[in-house]
Amino acid sequence: MNDRTAHLTDIFIDSFVPLLMAGIKFTIPLTIISFILGFVLAFLTALARLSRWSILQRVAWFYVWIIRGTPLLVQLFIIFYGLPSIGVVIDAFTAAVIGFSISVGAYGSEIMRAAIQSIAKGQWEAAYSVGMTRSQALRRIVLPQAARVSLPPLANSFISLLKDTSLAATVTLTELFQKGQQITAVVYEPLLLYCEVALIYLIFSTVLSALQHQLEHRFDRYAAR
Amino acid sequence: MIEINDLRLSFGSNEVLKGIDLSIEKGQVTVIIGPSGSGKTTLLRCINLLEIPTEGMLRIGDSALSFREGNKPGRGDILAFRRKTGMVFQSYNLFPHMTALQNVMEAQVIVQKKSRAEAKERSMELLGKVGLAGKADSYPHQLSGGQQQRVGIARAMGIGPELLLFDEPTSALDPELVGEVLKVIKELAVEGMTMAIVTHEMKFASQVADRIVFMDEGIIMEQGSPNEVLNHPAQERTRQFLSLLSEPV
Ligand SMILES: Nc1ncnc2c1ncn2[C@@H]1O[C@H](COP(=O)(O)OP(=O)(O)O)[C@@H](O)[C@H]1O
Ligand SMILES: [Mg+2]
Repeated sequence: MNDRTAHLTDIFIDSFVPLLMAGIKFTIPLTIISFILGFVLAFLTALARLSRWSILQRVAWFYVWIIRGTPLLVQLFIIFYGLPSIGVVIDAFTAAVIGFSISVGAYGSEIMRAAIQSIAKGQWEAAYSVGMTRSQALRRIVLPQAARVSLPPLANSFISLLKDTSLAATVTLTELFQKGQQITAVVYEPLLLYCEVALIYLIFSTVLSALQHQLEHRFDRYAAR
Repeated sequence: MIEINDLRLSFGSNEVLKGIDLSIEKGQVTVIIGPSGSGKTTLLRCINLLEIPTEGMLRIGDSALSFREGNKPGRGDILAFRRKTGMVFQSYNLFPHMTALQNVMEAQVIVQKKSRAEAKERSMELLGKVGLAGKADSYPHQLSGGQQQRVGIARAMGIGPELLLFDEPTSALDPELVGEVLKVIKELAVEGMTMAIVTHEMKFASQVADRIVFMDEGIIMEQGSPNEVLNHPAQERTRQFLSLLSEPV
């Protein structure tokens, strides 16, 4: 093994644990917390958009319109660098969680709304015909079916979120990507370091995909497909 | 016991039901026939309140609802009234994420607030009645069309309706599966279930019906005993319709 290769191997090995730790300490919690909060927000927003109250519909529509129509990076900057000028100071992790949750909430609500609307009208009618109220029909008949439909696209957005958390580097959070930048600044091996960062994202997302397949398998119990 | 008075329904400017008057005695089977587009499905859907009539009156037993332009009954009234009728759909519309047993139990537990044990006992009894006790734990996609439709009948029976509505219950079925569904309906008729059935199965109609109603273009053209309507129709339109049905293909 020549010196150059040995040198790179050393850097790779020395960096691996710090990078992995940055991922475990920040990237993973940021992804999971943001997704859970975003999921709840998405669900409420989807319900609001399908509700009978036009004021709720409009508020939800407005929220989705703003968030989908502006870059996530800009939204993060507004929350972290913008809000302090009106006296709202938020630490980097919280700011990132807020930004990502709001984003998941908007995109996720569209996924859920589409899933709910994809359930055949006959399912609602069958539920009504046995005397169910609208909310009983939604809870017992439509949502369980919509959940299955929305699982693959939601899992996709979960994996996208994992990768999007690298944007948190721009609001000073030392997550996986920022850690990679810091190490690169010292050892100056950008190709190696950023490939290593990519590798760790790949490991995380592969684990998540495996979990997704498990979950889909469970839902398949009742589906002929 | 069931009375329908001057019932009207329009979709936009298209008046689909143009003043339906019909009464059904307790324990009677009424078969509704008529050409496609004549409003048969819409009439059943109005009785089940899946469509809200524009005008007219519906009465089942001692509860009645009146409809007038711009005056919809309250949601509570609609729910209470709807629970007196059960609907069997042309395309079954079983809940695909539930087993046959769960399909039948669901409304009894969720709507009628029966205990699970009580609902299960009643549902197994109903599945037995439609000949599917052995399929209680099967999901709809594991059942044939005929079996699914029989689960549909058990589900509609589950809430103990005073009137059971069937909208072409066998027309989505392969011919060899039609018989098993008609047999179940005949048995219900023998037990005295009050039913309104839209069907094109004329032999079945003549066997099971106490009354036959012929609908055309949103009105009832003619009604009477099966012998009167099928063998001695008074109206030219009825004769035409029946002759079209019996024409060899
Ligand atoms: N939801 C609807 N919106 C508009 N028109 C409808 C709707 N449902 C039924 N119609 C119209 O009402 C008429 C009667 O339909 P339907 O009751 O389904 O007839 P049938 O069951 O006798 O074939 C048809 O002309 C049909 O196009
Ligand atoms: Mg029809």
